[in-house]
Amino acid sequence: MEKQTIDSMVGVLDARMNRQLKQYMDICARCAICKDACHQYVATQDMKYLPARRAELLRQIYRRYFTKAGQFLPALYEAREPDENLMDELYESTYACTGCRRCTYYCPFSIDTGWITSVSKGVLIAAGRGNEMLGQLADAALFKADNMDVFDEIIVNGFKDVVRELEEELGRPVAIPVDKQGADILYVALAGSHSIKPAAVIFDAAGASWTLSKFEAANYGFFFGDPAKAKLIADRFMNEAKRLGVKEVVITECGHAYRVAEMFYEAWAKEKMPFKVRHILEVIDEYIKDGRITVDPKGIAEKVTYHDPCQIGRNGGIYEQPRDIMHAIAPDFVDMTPNRETQWCCGGGGGIVAMEEFNDVRLKSGGKKVEQIKATGAKLLACPCENCRLQIEELSKVHDLGLRIVPVMELVAEALR
Amino acid sequence: MSDVTPDLELDLKGLLCPMPMVRVSQNITNVPVGGVIRAVATDAGSMADIPAWAKSTGNEVMSAEKVGGEFVFFVKRIK
Amino acid sequence: MDWFSYLTSGIGVYVALVVFTGGMAWRAWQWSRTPKSPVRLALYPKPKTGPGRFGKLLVDTFAAPQSFKIAPAIMVAALLFHLAALAAFVGHLRLVHEFTPLVAVLGVDGMNTFAAWSGGAAGIIMLVAVLYWLGRRTFGAYKNLSVPEDYLLLALLLGIVLMGDHLRFVGGLHAATYQAWFASLMAFRPAFPAELTSSVTRYALDWHMLFVDAFLIYFPFSKLTHAIGAFATNAVRTGE
Repeated sequence: MEKQTIDSMVGVLDARMNRQLKQYMDICARCAICKDACHQYVATQDMKYLPARRAELLRQIYRRYFTKAGQFLPALYEAREPDENLMDELYESTYACTGCRRCTYYCPFSIDTGWITSVSKGVLIAAGRGNEMLGQLADAALFKADNMDVFDEIIVNGFKDVVRELEEELGRPVAIPVDKQGADILYVALAGSHSIKPAAVIFDAAGASWTLSKFEAANYGFFFGDPAKAKLIADRFMNEAKRLGVKEVVITECGHAYRVAEMFYEAWAKEKMPFKVRHILEVIDEYIKDGRITVDPKGIAEKVTYHDPCQIGRNGGIYEQPRDIMHAIAPDFVDMTPNRETQWCCGGGGGIVAMEEFNDVRLKSGGKKVEQIKATGAKLLACPCENCRLQIEELSKVHDLGLRIVPVMELVAEALR
Repeated sequence: MSDVTPDLELDLKGLLCPMPMVRVSQNITNVPVGGVIRAVATDAGSMADIPAWAKSTGNEVMSAEKVGGEFVFFVKRIK
Repeated sequence: MDWFSYLTSGIGVYVALVVFTGGMAWRAWQWSRTPKSPVRLALYPKPKTGPGRFGKLLVDTFAAPQSFKIAPAIMVAALLFHLAALAAFVGHLRLVHEFTPLVAVLGVDGMNTFAAWSGGAAGIIMLVAVLYWLGRRTFGAYKNLSVPEDYLLLALLLGIVLMGDHLRFVGGLHAATYQAWFASLMAFRPAFPAELTSSVTRYALDWHMLFVDAFLIYFPFSKLTHAIGAFATNAVRTGE
């Protein structure tokens, strides 16, 4: 590889270096306890999907350029100058990782492979080996934001269509406020109407003061592995929230978008936001408990189960609210085993659903989730993350599960009285 | 656009954003430079997404129209 | 002392202790001057209060209950090894100063019997654990994960434990002999007492110490820095 390329890779690693990463690089014992935690390794037994191996590939570069020991005795540590072979393996191992952090949960040192692969992505981007599709999706989102004069009308017209569809479906008007100064809530949805309609119905029923963001919550800059782009993409709705003076930003049923907004954004922006960030399910749970909306306790008569998206559950701490909601509307709610912090990743996270080249490992890695769903006997699955839904829908087709997979809020809207 | 014969037809109905944009992007190299993809989507978000994708990747959306409940795109591969 | 004994059981001990202490301090300093990750990397659920989080940090670090659930065999080996190593370390303190209260209770013979049993058990457990790890690393499905560093550390441990076990089971010398040598080390005039110089057991001691010295010298530059690093990384898991 050219020296210039290596220099920029090392530069990125240096810029992204922090205490946690350094410790993860220094202390991993390569005990491989993580092997049985990873849905991809369990499904394929392929070394490049072993969490410790994913980290080891970055460690080889770290050892070579950031430690004296690795410079003096490269063979002892397998410290390596990056070459095309290393980059090929790093690419496959890194972009395949769904960032579910199930390995982190089981690691005796809590080594965060998801965090390590996010840095590896930065190194790959510096070498011109970032995933093209995720890069394009990130750029398209930024292009929209930079050219709002062109897209504003298209987007607002799209919202008007949603209002018309809702009125046809419900036989009564439901407003979707946009750009409403001083609203309590800025609701950040996805580009599709499926993430807007049920929320609008619920906000309407609760008499909430809300306004819909013109920007989608999805953040392909985060999946791509470029924190600067990820911040710019999140800036769009965070700045909108500041401009409108809302009390809270509510993120739709999307896993990574919630984590970006709640766990990462303030650190990236280096400022405290004048509003709080919540997931829509926290809000709906509160509405039900406070009696602001009334739901039919038998509203969902069918047997239904729930999938914990990693970014909302293990990485976001939202376990009980969705379950309380399900118990409030569905008498035949059953949990999967395992669930909550030990639940299996469905295999669809980290932007992998948009990367065709990983289709094979993605579908194989869903095997555990398929077993779990089958064991519940439910044909209805509530799932508050778009990437999980895309993945499980495909798994349902491939394995002929005949599942109906819906956002939790859609069931709540169905059960509203 | 009825006078344009597409090199590839993509049925993106039922796909939610950003998947329509993803499918167009994945298929753009399946037509020759100067070739045209005709894509039909049902997700309203694609009306902004596909033009934004085209602009940021240097391709061209020749037309984007709403026909009934569907969104019809003619996308030309430029490079 | 001949030159080899002097190298391994004399001057080598000082060098090893200086490198170990300095190296670990340097490593901790290196970590501390690297800024913390600004983003929140905690795993959920986690305790809400400070003391609760600290308690979980201790449990995660010393008992790793999650790891036990997913990989019981390796964790049993790891726990037994670490406990045996701790027991062996405590037992070795007898060379610095006789455990007088224990001797008062057990008597001199009783103390020697107790030390023989406890030290022997620790030595055997460590040997079995090291052999198990070596086998797992060499023949496991994921053997390609291993790097030479892993084998070097296991080889050093194997050397330490084999030679230690030899001293315990075959050497035939009692604690008082080693105490005399240790006293000379602490007085900075390393010398072997006559019982050692006249016994072939001193070769076993020399090799034991060679491995110990190398192990301590290499420790700060290896993955064994998890001895202190694991507290920090597990704290991130429960962090705010």
